[in-house]
Amino acid sequence: MLRPAVVTGVGVVSARLVGDGQALRRFLAAPPAASPRHVVDGAVLAGLIDGAEARRTSRVSQLALAATRLALADARLDDTGAAGFILGTEHGDLHSTIEFADGYLRTGPTGLSPLLFPNTVMNTMAAATTIAVQARQLALTLNVRTVGGELAIARAARAVASGRVEVALAGGVDQHDPLVAEILGELGAGSEVRGEGATLLVLESLDHACARGASPAGEILGAAWRGLRTRPHGVGRRVESTAIAAALEEAGLESGAVTWVYTSASGDRARDAWEEALLGRALDPQRLALASLAPLLGQHAGLGALRVAAAMWTAASGLLVQPAWGGGAADDRTTALVPVAPGPGLVHGVARGGTHVALVVGGPPGDVQ
Amino acid sequence: MTRRGRRVVVTGLGAVSPFGAGVKAFWQGISAGVCAIRPITLIETDGFRARVAAEVPDGIGGSTRRSRADRLALTAARAALDDAGLGPAERRDAGLVVGAVGGGMLEVEGWYWARQRGRSVAGGGALRAILPASHADMLAWRLGLDGPRETVVAACSSGAASLALAAELVADGVVTTAVAGGADALTRVCFMGFNALKLLDPAPCRPFDRERRGMSIGEGAAFLVLEDRETARARGAVIYAELAGYGMTTDAFHVTSPHPGGDGMVRAMRAALETAGAVPADVAYVNAHGTGTPHNDRIEAQALRTVFGEGGVLVSSTKSMIGHTMAAAGSLEALATVLALIHDVVPPTVHLDTPDPEVPFDCVPGVARVATLSAAISNSFGFGGQNVTLLFRRPC
Amino acid sequence: MEPKEVMDELTVLLVTRLKFEPARVAAVAFDTPLPKGVDGSLGLDSLDFIELGIAIEERFGIVMDESEDLTEHFASVDTLCRFIDERAARP
Repeated sequence: MLRPAVVTGVGVVSARLVGDGQALRRFLAAPPAASPRHVVDGAVLAGLIDGAEARRTSRVSQLALAATRLALADARLDDTGAAGFILGTEHGDLHSTIEFADGYLRTGPTGLSPLLFPNTVMNTMAAATTIAVQARQLALTLNVRTVGGELAIARAARAVASGRVEVALAGGVDQHDPLVAEILGELGAGSEVRGEGATLLVLESLDHACARGASPAGEILGAAWRGLRTRPHGVGRRVESTAIAAALEEAGLESGAVTWVYTSASGDRARDAWEEALLGRALDPQRLALASLAPLLGQHAGLGALRVAAAMWTAASGLLVQPAWGGGAADDRTTALVPVAPGPGLVHGVARGGTHVALVVGGPPGDVQ
Repeated sequence: MTRRGRRVVVTGLGAVSPFGAGVKAFWQGISAGVCAIRPITLIETDGFRARVAAEVPDGIGGSTRRSRADRLALTAARAALDDAGLGPAERRDAGLVVGAVGGGMLEVEGWYWARQRGRSVAGGGALRAILPASHADMLAWRLGLDGPRETVVAACSSGAASLALAAELVADGVVTTAVAGGADALTRVCFMGFNALKLLDPAPCRPFDRERRGMSIGEGAAFLVLEDRETARARGAVIYAELAGYGMTTDAFHVTSPHPGGDGMVRAMRAALETAGAVPADVAYVNAHGTGTPHNDRIEAQALRTVFGEGGVLVSSTKSMIGHTMAAAGSLEALATVLALIHDVVPPTVHLDTPDPEVPFDCVPGVARVATLSAAISNSFGFGGQNVTLLFRRPC
Repeated sequence: MEPKEVMDELTVLLVTRLKFEPARVAAVAFDTPLPKGVDGSLGLDSLDFIELGIAIEERFGIVMDESEDLTEHFASVDTLCRFIDERAARP
């Protein structure tokens, strides 16, 4: 990229971690064992949203708003008027759509809630958040299975690098809903480890960050997204990835230079195997360490953005966080910290149906810590 | 912020509208000032105040195992690619950006209604289209598109946002070609919701009329092929227009009401002018968002006055004829704007019987107007304050 | 209905339809203003009023015409209770 976007703030709201970049780095440095808890604590979320706001924002919007505020505080960014907002999501606020429909099915037209109706369109989280934080440039919601967070960050990195926005808030959010999970489970991915939450990053140009005295925690050296043709909701057979090649080229790296990857593996075995094949083909499989954070926090669009933040830490520390999937006889679910070569690595995701994202992520640029 | 990068031109057009399949049917309908808003047939409407909409007529075609919205999208996108004369190799590398809101919600509703009323029905095909992203995955699969793929949900601005995002891919040189647009089918949720919000006129809407009472809903799909200008010229493609500039802003004001000063609208229009290197006097026609609600039309008129001055530009609302087609609106209306440039004819605003003094513009009432147009803009101002303005120019 | 009864029903609607916390609503008195931007008000905006309007129509069996300007009736809990009482009494 001509001027790679740098990351100056991180906000995470998830089942096992709620906090900013510093909290995330502590979490990654001493990661817990994998566990089945993947739902955000209601009391914790209530503490992050004020009462009047909570009344008028649905739960998934609250997750996005809380994470955005944490990221803005982390970045020490007060002037949000010039910020763009790009949010990826898999399920959006389908929970509210179901509630809205139930109102009618129970009592007819008078059971419909005008307050709920705006939530039936997936841009509701972006609308609620941009209103609350007063971000007034472009606001985009990108819907896709699995890779929403990665895709939003890739779009945002491109928008910053091309000079279209000075600052971009980008990330992903998903809320757990049993009916939606059941439906999508039937469309493949039934064995996926699901979670919920939001992770938002603050992206800006290095010049813009330095000018306001912000210190970057990492940079997006290359970002690309493509399609791998396959039946909708299907797992493909093609393993030649143009996205990985494009991201590497943008970052000015040979394929052999990348030796670790945070993947979108989620327990959907067919999809996970496809991803591994893609990575093995594009990079050097002998020297490749793969890790997925889904066993820790469950798959949700927020996790895609969190992977980018984790990659920034791994690039600087040389430690890859590798949770165990468990299920073996000893059922040892300790999370390993695998030594890898410090320097940029890859954040990768591929969705059923073929949307495919690759991000080359580095630690703090130059000597900036 | 000035525009950087390659110039982006429109080389393919495809649509399915309340006038039927095809760009020709669409232009014939809107240029003749025909209103396609009629009593609803697709869903139950008992107990609701407003019961009209602009439905796509029977005969959409396509497999009935697909959602209605998917069929609309496929018909329009395929037509656009065929119109642009793109072969398999070009399609393989092309970008795809889809504006979507309802996705296959109409069919999911059918399943859910039956289930909640105690009739267990297998979900099957209906549920495959539950996400707005379903259109993009289906289009990529059926049309052989392996390039960058996205689905953008920006409420009423989705169709317009898809074109802006696709233009960025071309301008940045990520792809030389992209197909983009929006699609939406009528859904119960949309129909019931706008009724509950009291935003619908029980009669067909009358944008910019002093007696206007609300919107009408509609459905359809439109896709445009956008291409790098040099590539298009080199292969001798027909170039319909240039997508010369665009603006995307957020009001950050309220989930359903626009900023009272039209602030976000003004910024979007000014950004479109600036990125195109144009001044207001260059623009002879605005295809308005023009939903027909008392609020929105007044504020849009105010924003237009701020940017263009009173009477400084011809304005018309295509929604007066096809209703508000939701995710398809931004792209169907972009198509109307391109067609206006091609034909030098401004489509009218119908049902405009009593001008509104708060709308100090010639809104082309009833009958299309012949006019020399070198540049025109299309506005889409969505729920949640999502504003997109696209600026098209005659090709040169 | 007694004014107090109407207010009790109204506070139930504030919880069930407008999603107010019960504790917040327990502090509501007759003179509590409703619209946003007024000191000490419940902070209702245009969307809240549409929702409340539908809820009132359904709960009290009254009809509010689209064309009527009912702003003054929605100024406070007191004015709203009176309005409901008066409309409910119509045949």
